[in-house]
Amino acid sequence: MLVKKIAVLSAIALVLTGCSANADTATQSLAPSADTEIIVLAAASLTQTFTEISNKFELANPGVKVTISFAGSATLAEQIKQGAPVDVFASASSSAMFSVSNEIPNSKTFARNRVVIAYPIANPKSIVTSKDLNNKDLIWIQCDHQVPCGTAADEALAIDGVTAQPKSLEPDVNSVLNKLLAGEVDAAIVYLTDVFANSNLASLEFSNNVSAATSYSIGTSKESSSAAQDFVAFVLGQSGQDVLIAAGFDAPPN
Amino acid sequence: MRRQTKNRQRNAKLNPGLSLLALTGFLVLALPVLALLTRVPWGSFLEIAISESVLLALEVSVATSIISAVISVFLGVPLAWYLARGPQARTRWIRPIVIAPLVMPPTVSGIALLTLMGRNGMFGKYIYESTGYSMPFTTTAVIVSGIFVGMPFLVLVLESAFRQTPIEVEEAAATLGAPPAKVFWRISLPLAKSGLIAGAVLAWARALGEFGATLMFAGSLPGVTRTMPMAVYSAMESDQGSAFVVSAILLAVAILVVFFLRSNLIKTFSR
Repeated sequence: MLVKKIAVLSAIALVLTGCSANADTATQSLAPSADTEIIVLAAASLTQTFTEISNKFELANPGVKVTISFAGSATLAEQIKQGAPVDVFASASSSAMFSVSNEIPNSKTFARNRVVIAYPIANPKSIVTSKDLNNKDLIWIQCDHQVPCGTAADEALAIDGVTAQPKSLEPDVNSVLNKLLAGEVDAAIVYLTDVFANSNLASLEFSNNVSAATSYSIGTSKESSSAAQDFVAFVLGQSGQDVLIAAGFDAPPN
Repeated sequence: MRRQTKNRQRNAKLNPGLSLLALTGFLVLALPVLALLTRVPWGSFLEIAISESVLLALEVSVATSIISAVISVFLGVPLAWYLARGPQARTRWIRPIVIAPLVMPPTVSGIALLTLMGRNGMFGKYIYESTGYSMPFTTTAVIVSGIFVGMPFLVLVLESAFRQTPIEVEEAAATLGAPPAKVFWRISLPLAKSGLIAGAVLAWARALGEFGATLMFAGSLPGVTRTMPMAVYSAMESDQGSAFVVSAILLAVAILVVFFLRSNLIKTFSR
């Protein structure tokens, strides 16, 4: 009885695997040029821009499929170190990019993102300068110190002489942004691109907005295809830069 | 007779197939924890454990989780009692609402608390406009989050314990002249003692481990609202040694809790 059951199950299993193998070869013979797939891992703050860039890239390069995953730069770097498949890595953190220099040997800066003080467009608390953050009645938040937007925020705040403490050090810029949009805080230190993306926010720049910027770098992995190199060139070239600048990013330093 | 039954229960023999499944199940749960333990920098454990960020997180976590648990007991015991002995027509719909936080994603719990008590919240708006007080970003918010996620555990376990007391015992006491309060304090609650202990400890452990709701509602500021799970998350970005040390501490707490609870849980759930 048991032997019979095993025999039947094995037969079914063999048939199924046989069928799927046949199906694979069938598709292969139908599409002579197989799709090249490139896997892109990109920082969360690049979500809208890189989605748009990848769509434009696929239109310009038929036969190439781009798969993107967005997450925090440090998380992505950790995944890459642990062997996650990747062709292109776009990082908001230079230390994250540095930590994967084995897997991603060369990288180039492709954009910068300024941190700004964002507040509701109606400006109920009458925020005029960055020093207004020192006001005890003002509730403001920023990213955690070790996250790229937090590091940039710390630098900008120090230069402008803001000594007051934020009410929270959020783990990523999206948490900060969401709390501002929910009306729970009076001001928040987010990226200029976040303000661009939200019409009900206004912003105020720090006095030294050059250092108060996060540098984004991009690189290909060691065994990546020429399609991956093309993608990087696309991002660095006019098409990619147009998308980034329109979203509020700054061009890389030349 | 009793001893024989106990021993028989302890010698369950599974066939090879089930044994393999059981072993796999065990490994799925045990191996990640083991892997975590191998990454802990045991050499610098003590040094990291007494560093400022860890001590601050420990302070916030221990203080808020204990207060959450105590308030959960104060509010949860009467609630569990009502669910166990109250009219079914009402308890039938009260119970799912009470249990809901158990299955709600923590982030959603946080959003729910924010939309109630935030500056623009259903209640929070009026409180803010009249007193200027806003609950988000305060240590109180951490405590409230702990109650929201922890109390349902207590109510669940304690209601079950209350139900196990046959109602005839309580009725007998009442016919002998005991007022309802006396019946509760002298009979119902003592008989449900193991359930109360198990429920309180679970509520405390749940509050201690809470992350998503607290982050959403209270934010994360060292010494004020940054609990140990949040400290782990923050440390993973830069100081991974610290993240693993705090994780190991939380793991040790979890194991101690389960160890302490096992007899209470067995008593509560197997009668």
